[in-house]
Amino acid sequence: MDGQAGPDPQSIEYRRCAEPREYFARLRALGPVDTAEGFEGRVQVLTLAEGDRMLHDYELFSSEVAGAQPGRPRMIPLQVDPPEHSRYRRLLDPVFAPRSVALLEPDVTSLTNDLIDRFYVKGECDFSEELSVPLPSAIFLRLFGLPIDGLDDFLALKNNIMRAPGQNEQERAAVRGRAARQVRDLFSTVIDERSRQPQDDLITRLINFEVDGDKLTKEEALDICALLLLAGLDTVSISLQCMLYHLATHPADRQTLARDPALAPKVVEELLRWETPVQGVTRVSTRETEVGGCPFPAGTQFQVLLASINTDPGTVPGYDGLALTRGDKRHFAFGGGVHRCLGSHLARLELRTVLREWHRRIPEYAVKPGAEISWNGAMLRGIDHLPLVWEVR
Amino acid sequence: MTRLRIDANRCVGHGRCYELAPGLFADDEYGHGVVERENIDDADLSAARLAVDSCPEQAVLLEGS
Repeated sequence: MDGQAGPDPQSIEYRRCAEPREYFARLRALGPVDTAEGFEGRVQVLTLAEGDRMLHDYELFSSEVAGAQPGRPRMIPLQVDPPEHSRYRRLLDPVFAPRSVALLEPDVTSLTNDLIDRFYVKGECDFSEELSVPLPSAIFLRLFGLPIDGLDDFLALKNNIMRAPGQNEQERAAVRGRAARQVRDLFSTVIDERSRQPQDDLITRLINFEVDGDKLTKEEALDICALLLLAGLDTVSISLQCMLYHLATHPADRQTLARDPALAPKVVEELLRWETPVQGVTRVSTRETEVGGCPFPAGTQFQVLLASINTDPGTVPGYDGLALTRGDKRHFAFGGGVHRCLGSHLARLELRTVLREWHRRIPEYAVKPGAEISWNGAMLRGIDHLPLVWEVR
Repeated sequence: MTRLRIDANRCVGHGRCYELAPGLFADDEYGHGVVERENIDDADLSAARLAVDSCPEQAVLLEGS
């Protein structure tokens, strides 16, 4: 619990999370961009035609977005434009390519089952707190060759960075800054150890990988570790929350997957599109320009709403409906253009593994009767507490 | 004969083509798609179209008739 009250269910932020398809359909009927309701005053870009153009024109629509919160480290390569960006991706893409990530499958499967083992016999769990949150962090520790018994400490650190507690922004920034330094010290120690004594883990590959004699400096490796932590953990957690909530509340879809858990890859792909847990990505205009027929000055912050593009029948006819087991629809849940999510293949592995293993072991389940489900009201849409119940067999 | 092509300038490694049509595409070490079979006959046409339609970047191209 973060101790903060949940968002008002009548608020725009809440409805955008709880009913994204209805919310974006209403806005799209008014025009391709919305200037009234955006997160922190950002312009909401709602259609593929405009969104696709913005994701691909990185000179006009930069990812070097001002307004990163104080105390948060710089995000490489997420907030870096080409050509600098291209160098980082050349060094990083092989580490996160499907063939590299596939080597982790046995670890992901066993960590998933270890977590399910902890609560299975209770016949209930808070899916958010007991599986969706610890799993990506446990895998993260494994990736970095760090001991799994440090999981609770690591989760606390991560939480202090992502949702720092405090009465005001100054206090929160102090907590965040302290936690960020602790994480940096932790990674710094590991990088030094791996430099002396290479292991078969991600951090060793990060610091040793070379392209044409070029390799990452320690500072760059540290920045990248910070990005992996900031961008790679909560995104998987909220995606799992969106997916399990959908399946818990749609019996026919749940039964389809439970009858054949091998369908998980297709189901994940379609639910990534349908739920689009990372609802949008931010760009800033580098000069005066028009979007959706409206003029905007240089320095305008835009949110490209992937969630709108992915469910717009104007993107592809039929996109306003769900086809659970097709998994072949063009979607932008991982963004598009050069900033396509670096960790997308690892995320897919985690999501597919959880859906497969969960439904193999717990084919029938429901939201706990009487439980109040509250969406978090954030651009990364999720449910902080998702109590599920099942019959222990 | 229909030719299958990937526009390397557009591919950013979503990885959909080689997952959905593994006989026609492979992955390189960066996770980008590579065409395995350039000349497509009728039997492969539906798999090829699947890859074309699912690519978020529209980097997979079918040319000729």
